[in-house]
Amino acid sequence: MDLILQQTVNALALGGTYALLALGLAVVFSIMGLINFAHGELMTIAGYVLMYCGLAGIPFAVSVPLAVLAPMLAAMAMERVAFRPVRNASGATMLVTSFAVAMILQVLFQNLISARSQPVILPDALSQSVTIGGLIIGVNKLFAILATIVMLIALELFMKKQKHGIAMRAAAEDFAIARLMGIRANTVISAAFALSGLLAGVAAVLWVSQRASVDPLMGFTPVLKAFIAAILGGLGSLRGAVAGGFVLGFIEVFLAAFLPSAWQEFREPIGLSLVVLILILRPNGLIPAATLQAQKV
Amino acid sequence: MELTAPRSQLAAAVLAVPGFVVLLALAGDAIGTSVERTIIVFLISLTAIAAMGLYSGNSGILSFGHLSFMGIGAYAAALLTLPAQIKGATLPALPEWLAVIELGLLPATLTAVILTMTVAGLVGLAIWRLDGSAATISTLALLIITHGILIGWRDVTRGAQTFFGVPRDTTIWVAAAGCVISLVVARLYRDSACGLRLRAGRENAIAAAAIGISVPRERFIAFVLSAGLMALSGALIAHFLGAFSPKKFYFTDTFFLLAMLIVGGMTTVTGAVLGAVVVTLLTELLRRLEGGLDLGFVEIPQVFGTTQIGIGMLILLALMRRPEGLAGLREWEEWLIPPRRTAVDPKPLSPAESDPLDAISLTKRFGGVVATEEVSVTVTPGEIVGLIGPNGSGKTTLLNQLSGVLRPSEGAITKGGKDLVHLPPHKFVDAGIARTFQNIRLFPTLSVYQNVQAAALATKGGRDAGARVAAALERLGLSGVTETMAGNLSYGDQRRVEIARALVCQPSLIFLDEPAAGMNREETDALMEILRKLNSDLGIGILLVDHDLGLINALCHRIIVLNEGKLIAEGSPEEVRRNPAVIEAYLGTSKKETR
Repeated sequence: MDLILQQTVNALALGGTYALLALGLAVVFSIMGLINFAHGELMTIAGYVLMYCGLAGIPFAVSVPLAVLAPMLAAMAMERVAFRPVRNASGATMLVTSFAVAMILQVLFQNLISARSQPVILPDALSQSVTIGGLIIGVNKLFAILATIVMLIALELFMKKQKHGIAMRAAAEDFAIARLMGIRANTVISAAFALSGLLAGVAAVLWVSQRASVDPLMGFTPVLKAFIAAILGGLGSLRGAVAGGFVLGFIEVFLAAFLPSAWQEFREPIGLSLVVLILILRPNGLIPAATLQAQKV
Repeated sequence: MELTAPRSQLAAAVLAVPGFVVLLALAGDAIGTSVERTIIVFLISLTAIAAMGLYSGNSGILSFGHLSFMGIGAYAAALLTLPAQIKGATLPALPEWLAVIELGLLPATLTAVILTMTVAGLVGLAIWRLDGSAATISTLALLIITHGILIGWRDVTRGAQTFFGVPRDTTIWVAAAGCVISLVVARLYRDSACGLRLRAGRENAIAAAAIGISVPRERFIAFVLSAGLMALSGALIAHFLGAFSPKKFYFTDTFFLLAMLIVGGMTTVTGAVLGAVVVTLLTELLRRLEGGLDLGFVEIPQVFGTTQIGIGMLILLALMRRPEGLAGLREWEEWLIPPRRTAVDPKPLSPAESDPLDAISLTKRFGGVVATEEVSVTVTPGEIVGLIGPNGSGKTTLLNQLSGVLRPSEGAITKGGKDLVHLPPHKFVDAGIARTFQNIRLFPTLSVYQNVQAAALATKGGRDAGARVAAALERLGLSGVTETMAGNLSYGDQRRVEIARALVCQPSLIFLDEPAAGMNREETDALMEILRKLNSDLGIGILLVDHDLGLINALCHRIIVLNEGKLIAEGSPEEVRRNPAVIEAYLGTSKKETR
């Protein structure tokens, strides 16, 4: 029983990070139909900011906001330079554009920073653990879970109450109509990228605080998982992205904990087969986007 | 195999492939080692890209998973050709029968292709119903799953370690032969009956189902076929490299090959070739620069990663300039060679059979909204029925249920005693029901001819397709615009193509959803004449939704009126016009207010 609880905490921490990344992908996808593979490089940028701040001796409380701000700006720049010219192209074209952006950034990181993994100096507090009701929980895990909860609540409020949030929801439902209602396309898309950059930044802080290192390809694996989570949840649906992130986190952690050791090698294939199985049962994802249901014939 | 492109174009396309490949191979053979290696890699990549295009281009579903088939093909073929001695040393745990087997390249490749197609068939059976992003993610999952199995299955694959000792049998001529096979199969598939049906599904899945195409089935065929060609490219690369590991069939190469395909243009074989040529040339050029370059007077220093950055920039620039890829949406011969089709005498369309369509008590709910409530209607071949009602009264929803696009929440639909409610959408046309759509749903990048042909090939077992197409085009007055891309036609012409596409299915009932919307008076009058003739010559029943009450009154024998999802009146135009409920629904005068 304790083991299950312990693993649940791990799954919540991992799933929360996936959920934040999947949300970032979903915010952009719901508005412009782009699956942004360069999302991972936004994470990597945040990771490097943390690294440099650590080297410069800047306190963690200052370096975290910086590490979140940097990918926001980078995401907006990315949109302006690379994605705006292909905005009306097909999904495949935009996807390959984002590969290209990711590839260029990776080579730049390798050349300008280092091809090797770099250590990140983190506060000691993060590597300690606390005991809650008999469970030993790492502070970094607790931090991840709390940060995820705070982000999800803040995002919910932003989308419900704030002007840009409402504009984004309108644009996600029907971009053409939203524009007729006076919502500026460039503003809302730029805001969506800023938001996705913010989410990638927070996710990167959580990711790095568990691993204490950063390398040029750091963002690739988690964003690949987030991509799967976003579609598992229902691509373009924000609640779906969160649900997909947590489901994927649970599948991974519980397979790692409870699969017999002879089968551990096949953990990833088994986990993904479960994802495909869920998709076969629910082809539009766990919580499909509203626009899918409203499609007119 | 029925081929759907004009003979003149297809012959040129198919002949050009071996010409191009043989020239390249000759050049490689003559120049020697390093260029030869580049050309072999190019030919094998092109074999793979054509296969990826066969599936992704024609279905519109981007696949990340095709490199798994390349990997399966590579390992399967290599296991069969690997000398038994080496197997004994490197793979001691191999099953006895596999350990002693030692085949030549050709039988090994054939076996690998068949095995891979079987695997693809099994995968396809699991995921064939998935659409759009769910389908794409399943292929991504397939890539990761296959990679995981290749690494985990150490007894057979040596896991993450290098699999080596494979005889290097892929000469430039072997690679050329593989490439020709892949390009020709991909090109012929695109313009086969299957390929045309799949492309119709890519352009508009709902319209494709309405003319009898089972899009998932067509996708499945393309998936298995392209997997076979991927296995071929895998066998070639395995016997070219001699040593490889599962990493060869993972993300890096997937992205690289997809980039070639999309830069060139996913929907054509021309695009696949063009993308492969441009990216390969640029890679070679940049790779030389990367090592530093001495131009005599100036020395360019070595910059690590020039190739990747250069390729990345090329992709960005190419896609900004040409979002559909360098080749656009047409094959080279479709641009250059005027289409000439062998004239087929139109076959007079046969009169419709006379089973009436009975819908009983149809109710459709969307969440809490009741779009149609217990509506019962009968439409009989030979009559023209008008369906009218204010906006939002449920006309289109009723039409969608009667044509199988939506399944009613409750109620029954039968035609000649046959139950239709539980049929999938693409089976409705077999029951003699064809339709057009309120928001035109043509296959915009296919020609007018192909739009109608796709429907002809998907119905009545494809019999007399050519003659039926000719007859339908003639009836709708479209014979002059057959080779125009449907998306480029005027609004009125597009509506007529939709009717021709419905007519070629030889239905007994045609449902028309606002066919005159956007037409001027003359066009509307011409349309009325066409519809009258369909009705009187062929006995086809027509169910017509329109807001033009002049058109409805002039044309219809009987009118059905819906309001707020309920049937409120039914009868001759005269009766309906005098019906107080209809007047109230349209003019909104309730008795209370008049009092």
